Amino acid sequence: MNTVALIGAGLYLPDAPSLAAWTSGSATPAAPTGAIIEPRSRRRASPITKALADAFAEALAASGADPALVATVFGSAVGEVSTMVGLLDTMWCQGELSPMAFATSVHNAAAGVVSISTANRAYTTSIGADFDTPAAALIEALGLVATSGGVAIVTCGDEAVPERLVDPADGWELAAASVAIAAVDAAPMAPRLTIRPRRDSDELAASLCDSAAIGRNPCAGLVDLALATSKQAPLVVALDRGRGTGWVAELSAPGSK
Amino acid sequence: MSLAPIQPTAITGFALCNALGGDVRAVRDALFDGRSGLGPSPIALPFDTAVGVVATPLPELPASLSGWTTRTAQIAALLLAQLDAPLRAARSRWRPDRIAVVLGTSTAGADVTEQAYKHFLDHGRLPDGYDLWRHHTYGAILHAVRELAGASGPGWVHSTACTSSAKPLASAQRLLAADLADAVIVGGIDTLCAMTLRGFHSLGALDHAVCRPFAADRGGINIGEGGAFLLLERSGEPVAILESVGESSDAYHISAPHPDGLGAALAMTRALELAGVAPADVDHVNAHGTGTRLNDASESKAITSIFGAEIPVASTKGYTGHTLGAAGATEAAIGIISMLEGWIPASIGAEPTDPSIEANIAHTRLDRPVKRVMSNSFAFGGNNVSVLLRSA
Repeated sequence: MNTVALIGAGLYLPDAPSLAAWTSGSATPAAPTGAIIEPRSRRRASPITKALADAFAEALAASGADPALVATVFGSAVGEVSTMVGLLDTMWCQGELSPMAFATSVHNAAAGVVSISTANRAYTTSIGADFDTPAAALIEALGLVATSGGVAIVTCGDEAVPERLVDPADGWELAAASVAIAAVDAAPMAPRLTIRPRRDSDELAASLCDSAAIGRNPCAGLVDLALATSKQAPLVVALDRGRGTGWVAELSAPGSK
Repeated sequence: MSLAPIQPTAITGFALCNALGGDVRAVRDALFDGRSGLGPSPIALPFDTAVGVVATPLPELPASLSGWTTRTAQIAALLLAQLDAPLRAARSRWRPDRIAVVLGTSTAGADVTEQAYKHFLDHGRLPDGYDLWRHHTYGAILHAVRELAGASGPGWVHSTACTSSAKPLASAQRLLAADLADAVIVGGIDTLCAMTLRGFHSLGALDHAVCRPFAADRGGINIGEGGAFLLLERSGEPVAILESVGESSDAYHISAPHPDGLGAALAMTRALELAGVAPADVDHVNAHGTGTRLNDASESKAITSIFGAEIPVASTKGYTGHTLGAAGATEAAIGIISMLEGWIPASIGAEPTDPSIEANIAHTRLDRPVKRVMSNSFAFGGNNVSVLLRSA
C-alpha cells in the first residue's frame, strides 16, 4: 500500500513564495506570510512556522479538502532551532525565558497553530528524521490514508540553522514544501505517487531547483517533489538528495500501476 | 474504497528506565510500594522544584557509535539491552528492512546543545567533538537505535511535546496494517535539561516541591527523565495487546488544554471506537495527570464524560515526574505491568483530592484483575493521544 494519488502541492522558497509563482516563472522574493494562521498566533509565529503554513495552505487549496478534516503530517529536521537558540541566549545571560517563546519552541508549533487556525480536531503530528524527513513524513501519511481514508497533507521544511551551531559552508536557506495525497480510488484521475526504496535501475530526475543553498536543506527532497508535479510523469525523485537512506518518490500517470 | 483495518497488535516486549530505576523490575517495585523517585535537581536552578533523575549507570555505546554518544543514546542502549531476547526473536522472524523504528522525544539532544552553546558563549567556539547531526537532531537517536537494534526499515521520530512517544504506537499499527513493516520498535526518551526546566518555570507550570496530581493544593508538574521502548510485531508471543490508539487535536490553544477536555475526550472515544470496546470494559485509566490545575481538571471532566465516575484513575507522574516526550511510552508500559500483575498503582500525593475532580482517583494501590487500560497523553499544540491496551 505504498501508492497513492497526489492531489495537490504547495511551496515556499524565499525566491518563489508559492508553487504557482514558481510555475509562472514570474516569482519575486518575499517573506513567508503565514496567512492561514489566525492573527494572534501569526504575530508570534516564527519564519519556519509561517513557511510551513504557506506551503500547507497552497496544497490544501489545490486538494479541495475540508481544512477541518484533513490529516496533517509536518516534518522538519531541526524544527524551531532559531527559537531554541534565542532561548539559550536568554538563559545563559541569566534572563527569564519568555513563556510564549518556550511554548512555540516545540517541534509541533506549526502543527499546533495550523490545527487551531483551521479548527481541525483530526490527526496531526510533527516528525523529524534528518535527511529522511520527507520520506518518513510521506510513509506516515501512507499509513494514515491506508487505514483511515480521506486526505493527508504532508508538509516539510527547515529554516537555516544559526551559524553558531553549524559550519556556514554546510548551511542552507529556509524552504518548505507540501503535497496532498489520497487513496488512488478516491482520485482516479490524479497522478500516482509511490514511495519506495531506491533501486539500482532508477534514473533519478534532475532537481528543478538550482539553488545550492536550498539543495542542502534537509527537506529539499519534498521541494523537488513539489516542483516535479509541474512536469509530465513518469519520473523518480530522490527524497533525500542522496544524504539519507535512499527513499524515492515515483510519479506516474493516472491509471498506471 | 477498502481500508486496511487496524488490528490488535502483539506487544512482545517492553523496557523501562526512569527515576524509579533502570529496568522493568525496579520500576515495578517502586510503583507497587508507592515510592516516588522524585528529588532535588542536579541542574542548578534559580528556583525550587523536584525532578526525576535516571541514577542507573548507563552503558557505553559500541565503538562504531562512539561519535553518537549522548545521554539519550545511552538510555536507548540500556533499553535495547532489556529488549535483547524479544529483539533476537523478532530478527529471526522478520527481515531487517521490515523492522521499523518509530520513536518520540521532545528534548532530543537539547541537553548536549545547551552545554555546547554555553561553551560557545564562554569561549567563542563550540566544544571539540560537538556535532549537531550526531548529538542534537532527531535523526541522531534514530541512527543509534537502528544500528543497535539491527533494524533498517522505515524510521522517524515524532516530536509533539508530551504525546511524542504515544504517537509511535499508532504509527506502528498503521505500518503493520498497510504492510509497510512486520515489526516496529516504538518508544521514547527525554533527558533533563536546563532550558526545559526554566521554560516550564516561565509558564508557571512547575511545582516547587514534589508534584501532587489531582490534589486540592497541587502546584504543577515535576520534570523527569527516562525512556521506554516496546516491541510490536505482526505475530509473536505477546506480553500484552495494543488494541488501538485514539488521536485528536484540541484546535484551541498552543499551551493550554481545552477547559472541558473536548480534545482529550475525542482521543479516548476514538480509541474505544477503533477497538470496538465499550467504556464499561475498561478497568483503569492511567491519566496524563500532570499536576497542573488546568490539565487535571479538564482531564477529569473528559474521563468522567466517557467512563463515569467509578473507573479507577491514577497518575504515575508523582513517581517518575513528567517525562515529557517519554511519558506516553512510559505510561503504556506501566499499564502493561498493571495488567500482568493485577494491580493499579496508587496515585501518590493526590490526597486530599481536589473536590472539583469527579474522577475516582486511586489513593491506594488497588489489587484486582486488570484486563484493559486506557493510557492518556496530552501535549502543547492541543495534541492528544489515548492508548488502549489489553492483557494477552
